[in-house]
Amino acid sequence: MSHVVDRHGAWLVSLLMVVGCMILPAIGFAADSTAAGPTEYRDIPYIGSRNLIWIVAQLHLLLAGFVLGVPIFAWLCEIIAWKGGEQRYDKLAKEFTKLLTSAYATTALFGGILLFLLIVFYPKLMNYLTDIFFPSFLLYCLLFLFETATLYLYWYGWDAMQEGGKKTLHIFLGFLLNFFAIFIMIVPNAWATFQSSPVVISEGTAIERAWAATWNPTWWPINIHRLIANVVLGGYICGAYAGVRYLAAKTAADREHYDWMGYVGNFIGVFGLLALPFAGYWLMREIYQYNQQMGITLMGGFLSWLFIIQAMLIGVLFLGSNYYFWLGITYRIPGSENQYRKPILWMLISLLLCLAVWMTPHSLVASIEEAQKMGGAHHPLLGVLGVMSAKMTVSNLMILITFMSFVMYWRAGKQDTAPWARLAKAVMGAILALASIAVIILGVWGYFVPAIVRINYFSTSQVAIVIFVILTITPLTALLLKSAKTTTDMVWGRMPPRAGYALVLNAVMVILLMALMGYARSSSRVHWHIYGVMRDTSPYAYSPALGSASLIMVFCTFFFCLLVAFIFWVATMGDKAKGVQGTVKQDLPHGIPAMAGGGPERGEG
Amino acid sequence: MSELAQLQLVALGIVIFGILILLFIRSNFFRVTGFVSIVLGLFSLMSLAVPQMASLPPADETIDIASIKTPADIAALGQTIFFSKGQCALCHSIGPSESARCPDLKGIGAKLTKEFLYESLTDPQAFIYQDYRHGGVPKEYPATMPRIDKDPIGLSKNEILAVIAFLQQMSGEPISVSVSELEMPEQGPSDPVKAAQAVSVARVQGQEKRGNLWNVR
Amino acid sequence: MERALIRPIVIMGAMYAFLKFVLPNIPGSAEIPASLIILYLLLTLSGIIIFETLSAESKEAFWGPLQRFLTGDNIGRLQPLRYGILVLFPVLVGWQTYHATVPSDRPPAENRVIHPAPPGEYTGLANPVPKTPENIMQGKGFYAAFCSPCHGANFDGKGPAARGYNPPPANFADPTTIAMLQESYLFWRIKKGGVGLPIEGMPWKSAMPRWELELPDEWIWKIIMGEYDGAHQAPRTWE
Repeated sequence: MSHVVDRHGAWLVSLLMVVGCMILPAIGFAADSTAAGPTEYRDIPYIGSRNLIWIVAQLHLLLAGFVLGVPIFAWLCEIIAWKGGEQRYDKLAKEFTKLLTSAYATTALFGGILLFLLIVFYPKLMNYLTDIFFPSFLLYCLLFLFETATLYLYWYGWDAMQEGGKKTLHIFLGFLLNFFAIFIMIVPNAWATFQSSPVVISEGTAIERAWAATWNPTWWPINIHRLIANVVLGGYICGAYAGVRYLAAKTAADREHYDWMGYVGNFIGVFGLLALPFAGYWLMREIYQYNQQMGITLMGGFLSWLFIIQAMLIGVLFLGSNYYFWLGITYRIPGSENQYRKPILWMLISLLLCLAVWMTPHSLVASIEEAQKMGGAHHPLLGVLGVMSAKMTVSNLMILITFMSFVMYWRAGKQDTAPWARLAKAVMGAILALASIAVIILGVWGYFVPAIVRINYFSTSQVAIVIFVILTITPLTALLLKSAKTTTDMVWGRMPPRAGYALVLNAVMVILLMALMGYARSSSRVHWHIYGVMRDTSPYAYSPALGSASLIMVFCTFFFCLLVAFIFWVATMGDKAKGVQGTVKQDLPHGIPAMAGGGPERGEG
Repeated sequence: MSELAQLQLVALGIVIFGILILLFIRSNFFRVTGFVSIVLGLFSLMSLAVPQMASLPPADETIDIASIKTPADIAALGQTIFFSKGQCALCHSIGPSESARCPDLKGIGAKLTKEFLYESLTDPQAFIYQDYRHGGVPKEYPATMPRIDKDPIGLSKNEILAVIAFLQQMSGEPISVSVSELEMPEQGPSDPVKAAQAVSVARVQGQEKRGNLWNVR
Repeated sequence: MERALIRPIVIMGAMYAFLKFVLPNIPGSAEIPASLIILYLLLTLSGIIIFETLSAESKEAFWGPLQRFLTGDNIGRLQPLRYGILVLFPVLVGWQTYHATVPSDRPPAENRVIHPAPPGEYTGLANPVPKTPENIMQGKGFYAAFCSPCHGANFDGKGPAARGYNPPPANFADPTTIAMLQESYLFWRIKKGGVGLPIEGMPWKSAMPRWELELPDEWIWKIIMGEYDGAHQAPRTWE
């Protein structure tokens, strides 16, 4: 193990050097101001103040997403263990809470750096924001105190509070942790959303003004969107961590454990992913309603290509998640390959068709000759696929397909014994088929009705149909499986290396998506600090083109991955020391059979 | 080499870096790093392949009071303020509108006098029509009219007068704001020493700017 | 070689042929730009890779021959082909580089934003003209006089003068044009014309006249009503 540690150490040194190089010029040139009167902006050479703020803010946001997402599912895992009695969920929850303490400190560190940089580089903007928001600044500090105290109690009290009433108290602490965490998220969300949809009143007390500014039109859409996205981020990062550990695992027990952890992470990620498009759609709608200009800048104007890129990333995410489910079926359930090959093929083809529609832009990139042949930038036939109605339809269908993938995985290797199984399966099939047809019909019909009817009734009906399908099929399947007998046991720890890479790919996609949307949110304000209220008069008032922005996003993603790797490495250093002198794990050549959705029992319970 | 080609080279370099790691290094952690950099490099290449558009801020409108000669000029200035600095159009519309949060201002210049408009802008709560009704469903984000001469908008007296001139012109009324009403700070008998300093500073800055331009060329 | 390898190649070939030769020949269709063909081919390729690597056996059948070929493991008479690929690959990269950098007289790809964001003063305006049959008829009359030479008497963008323009005049019957826009947006476009477009909309590319010089606002609003009615579309609304 020691050579691994050494390599990690080398990484640490280079990482610190990179950070040092980034910060040094900030100290040296921060005082580079020329204007008389109150300084509005300061700049640093080479990297530029805006880019530095961009990187630090993005890293802070990603870390914050991770720190807020992890307690949600750690707490859920703890409850599952508490109610269901499966101790390995408790262990998993504890393993992730352990990360929290160091991740939390890193997040706060980046938050502090961001604050200082903002004060240094954008004093005018910060003055204005402080003026409006100072009551919530103070509230934020208070929340931080509570959050920190709860986190320490939650983590350090884990082993002490395992029994009876104490465990209940511990669960309550977990609830408090998440409660404060949500407030810690939505309070700064108000500052950020205020910048894009400000509500300014000049009358009233400081608290009234701050409250009016807080309750701005895009505040709640962003809150919901970020909450779900944080769970997705936490889940996929958990999956990626398990994937990396799985690739490096030496013993069978390790392989089983990390295989199972990867499954749980992917499941949580997919679970959140299914709800995310709805939240995004709501946000977009609110933006359009608040200011049509901003909506058009995003969807039809200079950022329209960004949404094609976003569609590609989400497409890869959907493909990757499904791929992992399918790999799970063929590898964890021996002998199932031929049985599931055909349904998987059909699901894959429908998923790809949906993706093809989703990624087809409305205005195409075409040379002059090509454009002449098409008669404009819209293709006469395929251009129809470029509008909202088609996109909404296929995103709903993709959610349905992914859900089916999961149900198939869930049912794999089991035989129904209930007398009503045949009927139940027929009902489920009918629901699924009817729902898909209804979604498609609504989508096609959506072309022939006014936009407002489509948005208010058709799109919402499509969403309602999909939710209805999920809510009926899940309990039905659960009931069916209660009486089912297992024909083939699930074997953990047999996934191929590419499953680990698929998990890493999914996590990278989610992080990239968050970086991309950060750019989108900032660019949609165009040359305003606060939309329509405070103009950006700095040399950085322009929004960079997608290509050069993508390199900064790439840097943020890469650096964030390294940070997370570092946090995981720090947090598990103690385990390794224990593992060396601890028990010698059994080496089982073929892995241990286990229940589907469950892992091997290794006698911890 | 164009900037785009340079960025493409960087992205390609990231991909190649990843491929080299996957080809020659066995450590799992580094292999995953290599894989991640291939993915990230491909993302960058894709982003560089779509049309590249930067969004440039519009040119800054500077207002020179000295250039204002007629009431129509004042109204034109008022129009820009109405839609930009004054933020009137964030809430008010001219003509009936579905998305406006506040009263329609069409014909307001004909309905109200100049003095009343001025008071409505600087002290909105001073006088409210008794029969003023908010017809229809309540608006989702109700707003109270802010004092326009105070923060955050903080229009100067000149700017408010210009907006009033615009409102009158838009309503088809003769503009009752005259050029002589505008305060001309530069021409007023101010402290001579300060004025001299201001002029010299301006001149120095101007020379510097010109010097820079020459250097660039 | 083996079947598992031939099948993907056949699928990719068939997909390319479909996109290149079949889809454009469907009535009402047109040639598909290269960017879109590449996108669809990439999707097909990723589908093939995903499907072929789903299980250990299929992965071996798909990747095994490839790996053996690349490593030169027991391939016998294919050995020259392997060296051929070793040579071919750098040549391909070189050709691509040459192709990308050689000066050409072809104009760059278009990226015109068709519906750029309107200026603030036009967002949220509502049509002040009441929607009566007479007004709509009047609007259609104005349309016939001023707009139909280019946008067509049938609102389909195929007027007698349309053939001379690139890009062609907008087709209002297409549900992705005026049906996606608010009346205020049309008011802006008609009033300010092509020269009123922001930079991303490439004002130099549009031949749309600046109608504010010739028509009073009321006429423009009536024309908008007539357009929507004649093209059987409804303007976008938010409430």
